[in-house]
Amino acid sequence: MEFDWTPEQIQYREHVRAALRELLPPDWDQVYVPQSYGSDAAIEFSRAFCAELAKRGLLVPHWPREYGGNGADDWQHFILGEEMKAAGEPRGPQYMNVNWIGPTLMRFGSEEQRRQHLLAIASGRVIWCQGFSEPGAGTDLAALKTRAENRGDHYIINGSKIWTSYARKADWCFVLARTGAGRKDVSVFLLPMSTPGIKVTSFPGLIKDGHLNEVFFTDVVAPVSARLGEEGTAWKIIKYALSYERVGVARYHAGLEALDHAIEVLKRENRFDDPVLQARAGVIVSKFEAARLLTYRVVDQRVQGTSDTTDANLCRIAALDAVEDFMDFLIQYVPDCLAGGDVLLEDYYRINIPAGITGGTNELQLDLVAARGLGMPRRT
Amino acid sequence: MNLHMTDEQSALVAAVQEILRDHSDLPQSARLHSHWYNETLQRLLVENGYLDVGRQIGSLEAALVVIEAAKAPVVAEVAASSLLAAQLLPDENLEGPIAIVSGDHLTRAHRNLSIARHAFIDLGEDVAVVPVWADNVELVPSILAYPFGRFIRPPELRTARRLPSKGAELRKWWRVAVAAEAAGAAQAAVTCTLNHVKQRNVFGHPVAAFQTVQHRMVQCHMVATALYYLSLRAAATGLPYDADVAACYAQQHVKKLVVDLHQFCGAMGVTNEFELHLWTYRLRALQTEAGGLVESALDVVTRRWGHG
Repeated sequence: MEFDWTPEQIQYREHVRAALRELLPPDWDQVYVPQSYGSDAAIEFSRAFCAELAKRGLLVPHWPREYGGNGADDWQHFILGEEMKAAGEPRGPQYMNVNWIGPTLMRFGSEEQRRQHLLAIASGRVIWCQGFSEPGAGTDLAALKTRAENRGDHYIINGSKIWTSYARKADWCFVLARTGAGRKDVSVFLLPMSTPGIKVTSFPGLIKDGHLNEVFFTDVVAPVSARLGEEGTAWKIIKYALSYERVGVARYHAGLEALDHAIEVLKRENRFDDPVLQARAGVIVSKFEAARLLTYRVVDQRVQGTSDTTDANLCRIAALDAVEDFMDFLIQYVPDCLAGGDVLLEDYYRINIPAGITGGTNELQLDLVAARGLGMPRRT
Repeated sequence: MNLHMTDEQSALVAAVQEILRDHSDLPQSARLHSHWYNETLQRLLVENGYLDVGRQIGSLEAALVVIEAAKAPVVAEVAASSLLAAQLLPDENLEGPIAIVSGDHLTRAHRNLSIARHAFIDLGEDVAVVPVWADNVELVPSILAYPFGRFIRPPELRTARRLPSKGAELRKWWRVAVAAEAAGAAQAAVTCTLNHVKQRNVFGHPVAAFQTVQHRMVQCHMVATALYYLSLRAAATGLPYDADVAACYAQQHVKKLVVDLHQFCGAMGVTNEFELHLWTYRLRALQTEAGGLVESALDVVTRRWGHG
């Protein structure tokens, strides 16, 4: 066991930080971060930013060389992710590309799909959105109603998706659609958002701009070549994709950075000298650190090639526990943070409002660990 | 960063587990006791060098031994002898068992004092090392699952052996020890409860089949798992921040572990015959040590952001 970073990893983190200092505009914290990483402005910014990261080998370092990566291990990818998240995620939605869409395409994509998409993602210029949830199917994805009717050499897709972050600006959509009568007869399609019959509308909500969109599919024609994997194999693909998604976002790192910022605000306003406040802050730090180590355990398992457990689900549960405590702390001690008091803290709070819902609810994570991790029986 | 044990560490843990397996059972006469100190196990751990691991190999390996020992139903004093003594007295083999005593509360009952041969006394700036004589300690009955004892006459500190400026070092490693013992006890308590809820039927189903039980069991499992890594990180790095974080995390979650795990074991769990208390009431004993939750949390804050 080794809990220290190697000199190379320390150097790599410094290298990433130096790139961020160089590439982020001076008004990044004041202009872009408050709008959040899903806003139209941040998405457009990400196209140039990620292209520059790609040129420097800092977008997909952990990917194989044949797909534009450097063949680095998962630790480099996580160090990169920690620093990006802490900086307000200037990669915008492209964090999703590198975390799970790319690896999923590598595993399940046809040669043509890999050639078409992976190099595009690795160039940093393409935006994807995730067409999973529907008005009647969120965590219970098997209840989805969007249907892809097989017409031989193509499919006709009808239905709608909701909560589709980045859909307004996305170039491609990773869509789940029903292809049979059985509950789990679902397939994955890779569709250009410019396909005739796809329409996007947005609606306001508690979380930041760019996340609350609805995508309608009306008689959308998708060639068979747009299907990822065999027909009806979506669950295998999604399970694989979500195992990356659950630890892909370094919530502990961003949370501690935001907590550091909140403490700066409290110190500036002479409100830090309160032992009750301090004890709560200490407890929150320890929870973020716990989430950090549980996440590192999963990364380590990947590096060692031993990951097929529910440990990734456990990371989500631990991170959420810390995030929720911190959000409550913010309202308690920085009460104006949601009323113009501090744009960075408001962004942190609002982005995390659905933290226990996105990517499968916290209850689903608990169910999965109980059944598969602890071997607890289901009621029959 | 590498969270897998090396082959040597795995071999060490396996060897400790083997000794523990052979000497972990409570004797029939102690089945209804709140705890059982196994003197034979203590002697074997000493004779086989397991309490010298901190000195001979390293603090991370010592913490691995502490965690394994804390999973056993019987008590042996491992943490102070292997983790703390190795750091405070690296060139000396102080005879154990060793108790850790707060200098501010000398007349209180202290964990492991009734079995101790020596005590480290936290005097703030300095540490006193005193021999403990059996005729100067009275046994204090307690449901806390460690042997507790109280000095009949407080030790003479003016003439006691002192380790100058070692107070902070003692408290740091005490917190590492608290976290490591809590990690082992928590893992054992979760395993014990998990076995129970899978076997016990209520309303026609195993207790483990109810979702409300499942979710809280997973949370307890998460705490125990996180604590394992936090305590090992603290032992490996020796950083005060890591020690404070680990103790803070352990002590804030004692309530959850004790309340939930006893709840799921129902009335069985409140009997001494059922083993759960052997670990949950160790956790209770650890909850207030080395300053307790509030002090560990405040120290986390001071180390991260400084004073005021």
